[in-house]
Amino acid sequence: MQVDPGIIRLDLLFEAVSGIIALMVSYYATKAYRLTGEKRLSDLSTGFLVLSAGMFGRVIGTWYFLVREPTDVISDIVTIAYGVSRIMAYAIFVISTKPTRRETENQDTASVTMLLMATFLVNPSLEIVAILVLVVVVLQAILNYLATRSKFARYVLVGFFLILLSHIMMAQVAAAPGLYLLSQGAQFLGFLSLLVMLYKAGRNV
Amino acid sequence: MSKKRPYRSKMRILADMMRAIQSEGEEGTGPTKILYAANLSHDRLTQYLEELVEKALVQEVGPDSNNRSYLLTEKGREFLREFLRMERFSEAFGIEI
Repeated sequence: MQVDPGIIRLDLLFEAVSGIIALMVSYYATKAYRLTGEKRLSDLSTGFLVLSAGMFGRVIGTWYFLVREPTDVISDIVTIAYGVSRIMAYAIFVISTKPTRRETENQDTASVTMLLMATFLVNPSLEIVAILVLVVVVLQAILNYLATRSKFARYVLVGFFLILLSHIMMAQVAAAPGLYLLSQGAQFLGFLSLLVMLYKAGRNV
Repeated sequence: MSKKRPYRSKMRILADMMRAIQSEGEEGTGPTKILYAANLSHDRLTQYLEELVEKALVQEVGPDSNNRSYLLTEKGREFLREFLRMERFSEAFGIEI
């Protein structure tokens, strides 16, 4: 994919800031886990930690290739590692944010997971897998928002939805290269929504 | 959707007790009010109150009299504030604590 170097630098800036926000969410989830002992908070923390590690890996890897002549093999390794780390993080989000109130929802999630695995066998593209896993995360965020009607849950829903949108746009980049920056912008806005949630949830009453 | 809580973690029970104490203000709260507000059995109430006092989150006033009451300490108020922040964060992701 041929992209203007200026766009790449803006992309890296968005990615780095998003990585920092992911790290902040991870830290906050760890703090909440230490206070409450709820294991799903620890899982959530791990998910955001994996996500931020993937983002920083991509920023450092891409920056390295801007300075030095890239080799196809190493470039492919960075891209695949980034894609796999994101899918791992989203899969952890599916588990940690799974609704626990009703038995039927657990069965639904199990069915969706089986469907995702089947889809992976049919289409091994990392972007498509990321989209499918994120669809489950967004559906769970919708269920949570409908159950609580909390503004904090709304920020999380908006955040995950924008991240999903960024993956959908990224999957279309081969057909429309202009979507590349839009995709990065959507992801950045998604993480900003999570940052606003962190700020508002952390304020004193 | 049902709002029933089938299980309350120990941390949530302690927070509920401390909220009950805080809601009564500077004069403190007697054990009966805490028992009803936090929906606890007498044994559990005694056990958890001892723990709160031991951790200096709650201060016992008049322990030898029949008018025993409980007050939140500064450490207890800070704990409640922190618990509320973590509660809002967890619920944003659909995680009940």
